[in-house]
Amino acid sequence: MKRTLILHDLSQNDAELFLPRDPVKYSSFAASPPVRHCTGCFGCWVKTPGRCVINDRGADFAALMARHDEVVFWSRLVFGGLSPDVKAVLDRSIGFVLPFFRALNAETHHVKRYDMTPDFQYIFYGDMTRQEKETAQKLAAANALNLGAERCAVSFFPSVRESAAALRAPI
Amino acid sequence: MKIVIVSGSPKGQGSASEKIAAALQSRLAPAADCAALHAAKHNREEIMAALAGCGALILVFPLYVDGIPSHLLRLLDETRSAIADAAPGLTVYCVVNNGFFEARQNALALELTRNFCDSSGLKWGQGLGVGAGGMIHAARVGHGPMKNLGKALDALAENILRGQTGEDRFAEPNFPKFLYNMIAHMSWRSQARKHGLKAGELRRGL
Repeated sequence: MKRTLILHDLSQNDAELFLPRDPVKYSSFAASPPVRHCTGCFGCWVKTPGRCVINDRGADFAALMARHDEVVFWSRLVFGGLSPDVKAVLDRSIGFVLPFFRALNAETHHVKRYDMTPDFQYIFYGDMTRQEKETAQKLAAANALNLGAERCAVSFFPSVRESAAALRAPI
Repeated sequence: MKIVIVSGSPKGQGSASEKIAAALQSRLAPAADCAALHAAKHNREEIMAALAGCGALILVFPLYVDGIPSHLLRLLDETRSAIADAAPGLTVYCVVNNGFFEARQNALALELTRNFCDSSGLKWGQGLGVGAGGMIHAARVGHGPMKNLGKALDALAENILRGQTGEDRFAEPNFPKFLYNMIAHMSWRSQARKHGLKAGELRRGL
């Protein structure tokens, strides 16, 4: 059975209304209120491999990713990328990969820490321009390449309510 | 002209972003009133006060997961309309550095920053992507492996002082890529040893 991890920045009210209620298939991680931001110490690579050294709930996300078949980034679109709250969690999760380099498509990327990497799904909501949507498509592909995800899907919606339908669509 | 440089490195002093910002400031300061602030140290009010009546804002930050570090992203998201009000006619320039050798991997972060300008009613000036940013600790900017970076900062400073826009540029060290990658790998192993880890433990999963 496919297990999906949902990282989201929904309000508490929206989370109660729209997050799936099947705990066997779905786990969720609320990015709001925000976790502390990454300090760039690289402790997750050289001190406590795979886990951020900042001791708050943001330290758990990298290991959670490794235990799921799919990770959904459900976020307000900000400048063509993730919202600050969701980005704070992702910035704290680079321990998901190793510090070492490998060449992919003639570019340098990180070596995977885990044999299995979940598929990524980006669900963006809110006001957005065509340019921001183009940026988001490229950003999702870049994230997938850097974090080792083989499949990645991106969708855009004007509101949280409308974006909730995307969760039911398979990649 | 009043110029504000905002460093987006959470490390503060000693970071590659800080050094790049200092190298750029030294090229601007003789001709401009230049202030340097830090998104992780100064609060929003201090940054907004510095931006009042400012002609150019220069954002200098490290690449975080293909984008803008979350604390700087939050600042930009929450001040987008206030910046345009505080400094009408402001032009934004941006320097992003990454740990990979290829400077082009910073292009998306420059694009995100350009989108910030579009959404805030600010003018986009020019972007500079810097590959292998950590090598700035190896030599003086403008010398040896940092020669290309020196030239790129000279050109960027000239555009900023003239209030001009320009195509995004990318600068990589005057240094072999394979050697940079080899040194980086040795450095990770060495740092892990200092924390009491064996080589294999660096690769363990949770």
